[in-house]
Amino acid sequence: MKYIKEHLMFILPMMAILLGIDFYLVFDRMTSNYEAALRDGYSMLAITKKEMNTQEFKKLNAEISESSRIDKSEIIKQISSNQSKADVEDILKALPYFYTLKLGKYVDMDSIEKIKKSLLKSTDIKRVETFGDSYYSKYRLFSFIKFTLKVFIFFMVLVSLFLVIKQMEIWGYKHRQRIRVMEIFGAPLMLRSGVLFRVALSDAFIATFLIVLFFSYLRFLWAGSSGVNIMIEQKEMLFQLKDIAILLTSSVFIVIISVFSVVLGIKENEE
Amino acid sequence: MANVIHAENLSLSYDEGKKKIIQNAKFSVKRGEFVFITGRSGSGKSTLLKSFYGNLQPTDGSLMVGGLEMKAIPRRKLQELRTHIGIIFQDYKLINEWNVAKNVVLPLMIAGFSLDVQKTQAQRLLKHVKLSEHANRFPLELSGGEQQRVGVARALAKTPLIILADEPTGNLDDYSSGVIWDLLENACSQLETTVLVVTHKIPTVFSLPYRHFTIEDGGVYEIH
Repeated sequence: MKYIKEHLMFILPMMAILLGIDFYLVFDRMTSNYEAALRDGYSMLAITKKEMNTQEFKKLNAEISESSRIDKSEIIKQISSNQSKADVEDILKALPYFYTLKLGKYVDMDSIEKIKKSLLKSTDIKRVETFGDSYYSKYRLFSFIKFTLKVFIFFMVLVSLFLVIKQMEIWGYKHRQRIRVMEIFGAPLMLRSGVLFRVALSDAFIATFLIVLFFSYLRFLWAGSSGVNIMIEQKEMLFQLKDIAILLTSSVFIVIISVFSVVLGIKENEE
Repeated sequence: MANVIHAENLSLSYDEGKKKIIQNAKFSVKRGEFVFITGRSGSGKSTLLKSFYGNLQPTDGSLMVGGLEMKAIPRRKLQELRTHIGIIFQDYKLINEWNVAKNVVLPLMIAGFSLDVQKTQAQRLLKHVKLSEHANRFPLELSGGEQQRVGVARALAKTPLIILADEPTGNLDDYSSGVIWDLLENACSQLETTVLVVTHKIPTVFSLPYRHFTIEDGGVYEIH
């Protein structure tokens, strides 16, 4: 019973760390998609005195990735029904040019204002409409959720890391006599740490395996029958093969850090 | 014969120099010599012994052990030096989770000898200290005298340049003490190992010629 408890005290916080890391990965993949959708759905309106192409807009601001001209005849269609053809042509000549501008990446409101200012520096551009309000509210809400989750994950990982180190200290205490004697007889750090590495690595592999099992279950069994559209459509985001490598590397890294921090803390003079 | 240990104006202290233990000591020990270090309790005998295996670094002066300056000795050099020193403690300092055979071959394990060599050497060493039948037992299953013989076997495992023994018979009865002195005398005479023993009392029956240092008021003096 004591043996199982000792190992669970290491495996559970390690699982919490790995869970945090994998949630972060899943969240990052999901939000990247959402960011792309927000970015693709957003456009500015520029009113210019002359015809312009995408390259000319890009020269004014590199964030602009695409421009498309709005057909003026579409704009005056509704107001020109009672006008003569000559009048319509006059109106068309008098009207400026209208462009929708798309951005290359997801940016905040300050950046949008900067883009607007840089466009207005050109004498060829009369006006820029950013439609910032709707974009801004979506952006703020999204940023808030993203920030909150990242902070939560960060603290979860931090607290769990302390628990892992605490358990390592208990093991260090249990094996301190062996570590000290080995040091007195000239054993290098790796040899002295060997016993802790063996215990910690085997538990770290168990924790990694359980987390991989959990996320595989989410992707292959749960997502399909969850009834949540976003999960069904993007179930491959829940778990990818590269996650196994990231989780394994993370757990080995945590073991190395915690074992060395404990072994280096054992002084051969302490009694 | 070359000096194995050479101290020149050696000072040792604790608490970053506040608690001075040994001051301006000057002495040399040659290869193959048997040396007793005596003194009252708290005089600094064990402290001096600790400085020989780098557990405590000189605060002042110079201390050469095995040709290496111990003041500010790099970690790697110290580890290397320790593999040439056999240390025996009053409280044995055996690894209780390991059996006797594994305890004995610890220095060979550290030096990277193969398992076959370790096994052969364990048999030889345990036969030497008359503990062959206890190879698979654990230290806490042995008597104090037997545990100390394991400690001696461990110290001899790699035919060390120096054996440092801190009150090796302090916890033993007369018979067990006699066995330990015999083993140390043999190591010195047959292997040409330098043996330094910190003790309260020099054994009355001792066949080898030896040198005797005593520590008093922080000074190390040789008694002729």
